[in-house]
Amino acid sequence: MGAVTYPNDKVVKFVDYNFVPVQIETSNTVLMNQFNVSWTPTIIVLDADGNEVHREVGFLAPEEFIPTFMVGKGKFYFNAEAHPEAQGMFDEALREYPNSAAAAEALFFLGVSRYKMTHDPKPLRAAYETLTAKFPGSEWTKRAAPYRLIPS
Amino acid sequence: MALTICWLDDLAKAKDHARQTKKPILLDFFNPK
Repeated sequence: MGAVTYPNDKVVKFVDYNFVPVQIETSNTVLMNQFNVSWTPTIIVLDADGNEVHREVGFLAPEEFIPTFMVGKGKFYFNAEAHPEAQGMFDEALREYPNSAAAAEALFFLGVSRYKMTHDPKPLRAAYETLTAKFPGSEWTKRAAPYRLIPS
Repeated sequence: MALTICWLDDLAKAKDHARQTKKPILLDFFNPK
């Protein structure tokens, strides 16, 4: 990450605009244990109280890092019930990185967030249909499978 | 001059910044070796 992804100009601008970045060395066993980290890189999105909202383990190239943590920031808003902001992040990930590995998770949470905001289940069904069409092999398509039963 | 991420090295300080800025924290565990 330190050799390829973090020096990337788009990643630098993305991280500094969207996050409070903090780096902890593996020698800090107190925090390693507190967050149950046993491999690096491990990158966790936290809210200001230290609650975990998203976790990634393993290398991410810049073109995957940015949409992955757009989804992470979207989940930060989602957990805070800030649904317009959450949907903005999921939409941005889908618009700018439609073929990234994070796009399927963005679609899933976009549907869930729209449902939570409106209490209309149709966005869940729409999320399932789009996931099936665009990402048939994704784990997020499998997780959305029950939504196929929602009347369209 | 190359851009670099302005990493903090203190989680408590990061939580304070997160409260002030209303941003989430990106916590990266790394092995410097």
